[in-house]
Amino acid sequence: MSTTAAQARRAADGEPETDRQEPLLLVGEAIATPARLTGDVTVRQSIAVTTWRRLRRIKPLTLFWLLIVLILVLPILLFLTVAISPSLLDQGTQAFTLSAFADALTGQLLVGFLNSLIIGIATAVISAAIGFALSWIVLRTDAPGRRIWTGVVFALLLTPSYLIALGWERLLEPNGVLQVIGWDATGLRGIFYGPVGIVVVLTVKGIPFAYLAISNALRGLGHEYEDAVRVHGGGRVAAMKAVITLLAPAMWSALAIVFAESISDFGVASTLANDSHFPVATYTLYNAIQAFPVNFPVASAVSWLLLVLVVLALFAQNRALRGRSFRVLGGRSRPAIRHQLGRRAKVVTTVFLALLLVTALGVPTFGAVAASLIDGLGSLAGTHQLDLSNYQRVISSPQLSQPLMYSAGLAAIAATVTIFLAAVCARLLANSGASVGGRILDLVLLAAVALPGIVFAAGYIFAYNLPVVNSLGIHIYGTTALLLLAYIATALPSTSRVLVGTMSQIQESMAQASRVHGSGAIRSWLSIVLPITARPLLTAWLLTYTATLLELPVSQLLAPPGSEPISVGITSTLGKYDFGGGTAMEVLAILSALVVVAVAYALFRFVAPAGWKNIGGTR
Amino acid sequence: MTLKSRFATGGVLALAALTLAGCSTTAASTTSSVSTPNKVEPLVLYAAEGYDAVMAKAFTKKTGIPVQVDDDSTGPLLTKIAAEKNNPQWSLLWVDGDTAFASLDKQGELLHYAPTASWNTVGKTLVPLDNSYDPTGTTVMAGLIYNAAAVSSVPTTYQDLLGAAYANKVGMNDPSQSGPTYPFIAGLMNQLGGQASGIADGEAYFTKLKANGLKVYPTNGDTLHALETGQIDYGLIQSSAATGETIKVKPTAKYQPKVVYLEKSTLLPSVIGIDKGVDATQQAEAKQFVDFALSPAGQAVMQTGDASGDSLFWPVVNGVTPLSQLSAFPSAYQRIDPAYWGPLQAQVVTWFDSTIK
Repeated sequence: MSTTAAQARRAADGEPETDRQEPLLLVGEAIATPARLTGDVTVRQSIAVTTWRRLRRIKPLTLFWLLIVLILVLPILLFLTVAISPSLLDQGTQAFTLSAFADALTGQLLVGFLNSLIIGIATAVISAAIGFALSWIVLRTDAPGRRIWTGVVFALLLTPSYLIALGWERLLEPNGVLQVIGWDATGLRGIFYGPVGIVVVLTVKGIPFAYLAISNALRGLGHEYEDAVRVHGGGRVAAMKAVITLLAPAMWSALAIVFAESISDFGVASTLANDSHFPVATYTLYNAIQAFPVNFPVASAVSWLLLVLVVLALFAQNRALRGRSFRVLGGRSRPAIRHQLGRRAKVVTTVFLALLLVTALGVPTFGAVAASLIDGLGSLAGTHQLDLSNYQRVISSPQLSQPLMYSAGLAAIAATVTIFLAAVCARLLANSGASVGGRILDLVLLAAVALPGIVFAAGYIFAYNLPVVNSLGIHIYGTTALLLLAYIATALPSTSRVLVGTMSQIQESMAQASRVHGSGAIRSWLSIVLPITARPLLTAWLLTYTATLLELPVSQLLAPPGSEPISVGITSTLGKYDFGGGTAMEVLAILSALVVVAVAYALFRFVAPAGWKNIGGTR
Repeated sequence: MTLKSRFATGGVLALAALTLAGCSTTAASTTSSVSTPNKVEPLVLYAAEGYDAVMAKAFTKKTGIPVQVDDDSTGPLLTKIAAEKNNPQWSLLWVDGDTAFASLDKQGELLHYAPTASWNTVGKTLVPLDNSYDPTGTTVMAGLIYNAAAVSSVPTTYQDLLGAAYANKVGMNDPSQSGPTYPFIAGLMNQLGGQASGIADGEAYFTKLKANGLKVYPTNGDTLHALETGQIDYGLIQSSAATGETIKVKPTAKYQPKVVYLEKSTLLPSVIGIDKGVDATQQAEAKQFVDFALSPAGQAVMQTGDASGDSLFWPVVNGVTPLSQLSAFPSAYQRIDPAYWGPLQAQVVTWFDSTIK
């Protein structure tokens, strides 16, 4: 879109910019309007030239939407169709029916539905609160130990919920480690095996998303707003309130993403929730696709209901953000000031960080150590010695190296493509209150998160294994390419949301000023927008890389036969009761990803131009 | 649209184009291999057996037919097959338990094939009359694994487990999470009530077992862990997992795992089936694969793939000796009819989850 005077004025006034909708696709038009036929060669040339011109007229945004439809909308829609028309995809005989909804809507599902809602809200609020507190401590105070947290957050992101659950179990179980060292864990066990435990596990998984979304935005918030509050007589609390208000897009992004991730969670639903007789909405879905014959119509009906929850979440978000502007990142942004904590505050923050570290990372680490490093820890069997044999065994195994390289390569490609798409999505989402496109995108992205991964992957099979797709000569199902597209689609919603905070902050006036002074579009982008967003983009890349590396459900259903992603390899090793070997593989995969994170940040620190590091800097 | 997003979009499209170019290359190569005359087509094997990868390799070595293995748990494989229903992409499915195969056959998805195998007595009870699928070996549900260092009573029947000696000491798996466990529950229901009297007697048995302190853990591995930590002294798990534990663990003064089989053991065969939807070439190749699996050479390979797990099966064909660590085949065994018990799975598992667990 060209920068018009009106837009420039609006932006300068600090008004939210309304993204105009691009006219929809012109490809059909290009084909439908034949070139005038005058002579053989010239005709061909002229057709070629015309087609090329027409193709060039297709707006990048149009193609972006086309891609969104192909990788997100189509699979989701086809999956949802199964509930009302099972025969369309050979999942039943009826062309139109609502019986799947009748089958799904049992008393247990309704209870599960309510439970999911409560769990989702609790998890989202706690994760966002911890995410904010953590961002503030790490970025705005001189609390000791703050530097390790970027690493910790990525470690949390990589930690499979299996290890979290395993760690708690090994600690709390009868004759478990706590009991062995003389603590009676019965009471704690009673509390943990139920909603409290479910919220704890899901919160640990939610904190990284909340932290990345909020800290990215906090980096872009200069100190001038706090100063303004203080100058006008506001206290510290008032200043903090102003900061939270200005971070609203990022806070809501964090809430929405953690909420959607929690209600769609399948792993906890099938283990902890199931074992403690606490039904959640995905449990009915789990039963429908776990038993044979697989009942996709019922799974699809439950998915419709999950979407209702997502719509509610978006409604809340839009109400909260409506009609405000959060563009705080401009040419006059001031560096933030790092608060010097007093002794008492230092003690409090240190205790908070230590507790968080122990519960979030310590417990799963303990689970990993118990399973893979110490032979028979806490059990009657084994030597109870520190033992590296599990690691020696798997490190030389072809089941580890080849799948790890395969997954790492795919994760790197997926991350690179995803940050480009996510930047566009985040820009549209930042304006979602104002444009229809933004709202639709918001819904599609969050719907993709709210559907459990296995359902989303089944949607991919429905969409890309259709006989009609094959008859068009497209054989994309069962290829690495489709797996890659599904990885991108899976990562896009959370990556976009992590970038929303940053994207809602950028004032257009800077790039416009650059254009006014004669820079081309590319140069303006490279010299103005890239430096501001470099760090959040790097964070987003790493987020996608780490989240994709160990992704399981999509990998299970879409990996081409003969190529095994690392997560499938680990799961099948665990499935053969080789907890030691499987966990050792998992630990090595996590370590490999943490090396990537460390190298990426080191490169950014030493290689990136100084200007790229200004944003988020403190005085 | 902003400058930033415009360029970002451009970049995305370039990458997307590259990605799609990648797919079309793959697609093209697949198509060309299909159109070559007298061709060899790769088989696609969906399998959840510890020995599937070595078997694929051995088969390729013998016949020159490439095999692409999708090795995963039974659950995701069956989900995948269900999602592919209007355009199946697998040539062979090889997993434990015959109920899924009975159901696939009912939907007309299986190619019936009678291999040239010499079935032994157990094999003959397992082979379906219409040859819609074939067993390649069998385990049983359940093997009762117990800690001989902690307890001295050893049961011989399932009724024994209701006695005071076993109160609060017995554990089993959760049928909603452990594949082999529904066949076990169905087996007891078959033994106690059968197809004539229904599931009520079986339900009554589990209710009594629960009253005697039965504990339920997610899967074989978790039940074994409970045994290792002394939370239970008796575990009802799949025979291969139970025997595997006795091989893997060095006995100590506090932990000596041993395995017995109670009357009756329910057969849990590893089963292979051929997709009816594949072309004639692949059908012929798939039949070769089934024949190879049932040949002495193939059986020997199966016994090497997963020595402390799935390779611990009892043969269903003559002339093959089971691995030496495996105890004698339990004399009191039964086969449950998958066509009858398969459709009851959802009902029974729901009942178990809400009442027993």
